Amino acid sequence: MKVRDEIYNKLINVSKPERYIGNEYNIIKKNWQKDSIKVLTAFPDVYEIGMSHLGLKIIYHLLNKEDNIICERVFSPWPDLEELLRKENLPIFSLETNRSVDEFDILAFTLQYEMSYTNILTILNLAGLNFYSSQRKEDDPLIIAGGSIVSNIEPVALFFDFVFIGEVEDCLIDIINRYNSLKNEGLEKKDILKKMAKIPGIYVPSLYNVDYNNQGVIKNIVPVDNNIKDNIKRQVVSDLDQAFYPEKFLVPYMDIVHDRAVVEISRGCTRGCRFCLAGMTYRPTRERKKKTLLKLIDNILKNTGYDEVSLTSLSTVDHTQIKELIRDLTAKYEDKKISVSLSSLRVDRFSVQLAKEVQKVRKTGLTFAPEAGTDRLRNVINKGVSEEDLYKAVEAAFKEGWSTIKLYFMVGLPTENRDDLIGIVNMVQTVLKRGKEIRKTSNKSMKPIRINVSISTFIPKAATPFQWEAMIDKDKLKEKIDFLRSKLNRKGINFSWNDEDLSRLESIFSRGDRKLTDVIVSAWERGARFDGWGDFFDYGIWLDAFTDNDLDWKFYLRERNMNEILPWNHIEMGLNPEFLKKEYDKALKSKLTPDCRFNKCKSCNICFNLDIDLDVVGNDYNVYKG
Amino acid sequence: MYIRAEYEKREQLKYISHLELMNTFRKTFRRAEIPVKYSQGYNPHIIFSMSQPLPVGMIGFHEYFDLELKEKNSLGLIKDKINKSLPFGLKVIDVVIIDEKEKSLQAVVNTAIYSYEMSFNSETIKQESLLNDFLNEKKIEITRFRRNKENRMIDLAPMIYNGRVLNDNIWEFTISTGSSGNVRPQEVIRALKSNTKGLIREIPLVNIKRLGMYIKKGGRLYKPTNKEVLKKEVSKS
Repeated sequence: MKVRDEIYNKLINVSKPERYIGNEYNIIKKNWQKDSIKVLTAFPDVYEIGMSHLGLKIIYHLLNKEDNIICERVFSPWPDLEELLRKENLPIFSLETNRSVDEFDILAFTLQYEMSYTNILTILNLAGLNFYSSQRKEDDPLIIAGGSIVSNIEPVALFFDFVFIGEVEDCLIDIINRYNSLKNEGLEKKDILKKMAKIPGIYVPSLYNVDYNNQGVIKNIVPVDNNIKDNIKRQVVSDLDQAFYPEKFLVPYMDIVHDRAVVEISRGCTRGCRFCLAGMTYRPTRERKKKTLLKLIDNILKNTGYDEVSLTSLSTVDHTQIKELIRDLTAKYEDKKISVSLSSLRVDRFSVQLAKEVQKVRKTGLTFAPEAGTDRLRNVINKGVSEEDLYKAVEAAFKEGWSTIKLYFMVGLPTENRDDLIGIVNMVQTVLKRGKEIRKTSNKSMKPIRINVSISTFIPKAATPFQWEAMIDKDKLKEKIDFLRSKLNRKGINFSWNDEDLSRLESIFSRGDRKLTDVIVSAWERGARFDGWGDFFDYGIWLDAFTDNDLDWKFYLRERNMNEILPWNHIEMGLNPEFLKKEYDKALKSKLTPDCRFNKCKSCNICFNLDIDLDVVGNDYNVYKG
Repeated sequence: MYIRAEYEKREQLKYISHLELMNTFRKTFRRAEIPVKYSQGYNPHIIFSMSQPLPVGMIGFHEYFDLELKEKNSLGLIKDKINKSLPFGLKVIDVVIIDEKEKSLQAVVNTAIYSYEMSFNSETIKQESLLNDFLNEKKIEITRFRRNKENRMIDLAPMIYNGRVLNDNIWEFTISTGSSGNVRPQEVIRALKSNTKGLIREIPLVNIKRLGMYIKKGGRLYKPTNKEVLKKEVSKS
C-alpha cells in the first residue's frame, strides 16, 4: 500500500515534519521493478541521529549502486507520529517512495546504541510484524541487523532472522543476492537461514541454544546441529583505501547532528584504551591514502554543497599522513570558505597545531579526553596521557586564542579511588587557572575562558578487557558525581554528567543475555520509547518490566567470573581471550601496553585471527607486522 | 552584480522551515558553482536575502530572493545552473538584474495573495454573498496571539484588499503583508468563522497556498521583478 497520500497532509500535525518527507538532494528513488530485491534500511532513532550515522549512508549507496537492488530508508517515528499513525490506522512508511514494510524483501536495522532497543519494536509493530523471529510468518520480510554493538547482540538477538558481525562493505551485495536466489528457489525461511548461516559473519540466533544453570548463568551455547559453525567471526574490510565509499551523500534539510561532509580517513585504533569498545572491536588500524581522500573530499563537496568537511576516525590525528592531508586541504579550500573539522583530538600539542591549521576560518571549542584524574588511573585504562600532556595541550590552545575547552572524564572506572576524583578537580582547576594566566598576558579583548567538563559513567563492555568488571553501584556513583559537582561548581566551569539510572540500564544491556529479550518487550508494552532521550526515559517502567519477567537486574551488573561462559562467547570479535585477560591483569597493576603501530606486536592476534594486516599509509612509521 | 530570483516551493518541501530553506539555497549555490559573494569578517556567509517567510506547511508559487554575485553572468545560465542543483519541489522561474541600492524584498513586498481550500456545509451556504458581506464589513476585529507577548486586538478590515470565490470551495484573498501591516493567512479564516457564527470552519494550514507576493503601488500590484518598480540598473564600471 502506498501510504503517501493519506499521510502527506497530516504531517502538519506532528513536530518536525521534515523528518519524514525524504526528498533530499541526491535521494535515490528507483523504479519499483517486480524482480528487484527491495531492502529497507531502518535506524531505530530519529532522522537527525540516523542521518548522521556513516554506516547507514555507506549501506544505502552501496546497495543502490546495484541495478537489481532497491534500497530505501526508515527512521523511528517520534511519539507524536506514532500516535498519528495508530489513530489513522496507517503503517510506518519508507522515505523514498512512502511504501509500507511488507512491500520489501528485507528490513535491515543498523544498531549503534543499546538504549534504542525499544525503538526497534516500535518500527516492527507499526509494520504489523511480530517481534520474535520464530513467530513471524513465512512471507514476512527477512529482518536482519548489524552495527557497532554486535559484540553483544544477545538481548535483542531473537528479534532478528540473522545478524551480521563486522564490517559489511565487502560482502553485503553477495549476501543480499544469495538470500534472493535461495528465496527464488522456493526454500522455506528456516532452510534459507541454515544455508545463510554458512556465510562468514552471518549469525542466525535461532540456530544456537543457550542453556542456563539455576543461578541464571550460562551453562553452554551450542549450535542446533553439527553443520552450524560454533563461532561467528567478525568480518573486516582488508583494503580500506579501495573499499566502497559514497560520494553523492544525501543532503538533509534539517539541521542534523553532523550536518557536514564526512570522510572516513581511517578505521580501527590500536592505542589500546581498555574501556573502549570501538578500539577493541574495529582493529586493526587501516588508513585511506591521502590521494584517495583528496579525491573523495572534492567529489563529496561538489555533490553536496557543504561548506565543511569532517575528517572522521576513531583517532583522526593518528592518521600517518594527517599533516600533509590538512596542509593540502586548507590550501585548496580556504578561498572557497570551506572549513575542515577533526572528529577527535589527542591530548597533545601536535593536535592543537593541527586544529589551528584547520580552524583558520571558523573557531569553535576544542575537546580533549584525559578520561581519568590521575596518571595512575590513566595507566589502568591504558590511556597513556600524563597530566603534563594535558596542560601543554591546553596552554597551546589558549595561546592560539581558543577560549572554550571541553574535557571528557569517566567515573566508576576499575580501581578508582578518592585521589582520582580529586585529580579530576585539580586538573580542571589547573586548566582554568592557566587559561586565565595566559589571557592576562594578551592585550586583545577576548571571550572569558570556559571549561566544559563532561563526566560519563564507565560501563563495562563485552569484548573489552573490562568485560568481567562490576558496574559501579548507584549510590557510590551518585556520591562521586555529587563530590565532583560540589568542587567544580564555580564560575568558568560548566559541568554535565550522565543520568545514573540510564547508565545502569545501558550497562545491563551491554553484557546482557537472551533472558532480557522479554524484558525489552514488556518495557515497550508498558510504553518505553526513546529511552536514550532524557525526556522519555522512565526507570520505573524498566523496574516493572524486570518484575514482569521475574528477573533481577542486579544479576547483570555484577562482576563476572573469568571462567564464566559469557553471553557473547560465540561471537568472535578477533581478540584472543588470553589477550583480554592479560590486559585486565595489567590494568589492575596499572601497567601500560604500547600501541602496536609504533612498537612491536602485542599479540592481540587480530591480524592472525581475521587474516588481515595493519595498514598504515605513511612511510616514516616503524611498523611491525603481527 | 545583484540578482532577484522568482521561485516556487512545492510538494514535500512545504514542510521545511524558512531557515532550512535558506540553508538549502546556500548549498545549492555551492553545488551549482554560482560565483556568490561572501561577507567579510570572522564568519563569512553568502550575501543573500529572501522575501517574507512561508509558514511551515504552506506551498508558495511565486516567492523571491536576492543574491549578490562576484562577477557579471548570463541570467539564463545562472537560472539553469541553480535549477539543475535544486531538490525536487524548488524551482527558479525567473531571474532579473537589480541595482545594488535596490531596497530589500522584505522592505518593499507589502501584499500577498492566498488561496484557501475552505471548509463549510455547501448546502446551507451561499458562498458569494457570504464573502461579499465579509468584505463589506467596516471593522473585522480578531485577537492576535503573539509569542512571548500579550495578545492584542487588531482590525483586519483595512488590510484585506480583495476576496473572491475561485471555484467550488476554493477562495482567494489579497491581503497586506510585511512590516507596514501584516495579516497572518489563518487570521482571515478565524475572522470568517466568528463573523459567520461557525458556518465557515477552521482549516489546517496545508489548505492554504501562497499564490504570489507583490508590491502594491498606486492601487496596482507589481511583481518584485517587474521593471516598472525596480530602479534602473546603474552599471558599475
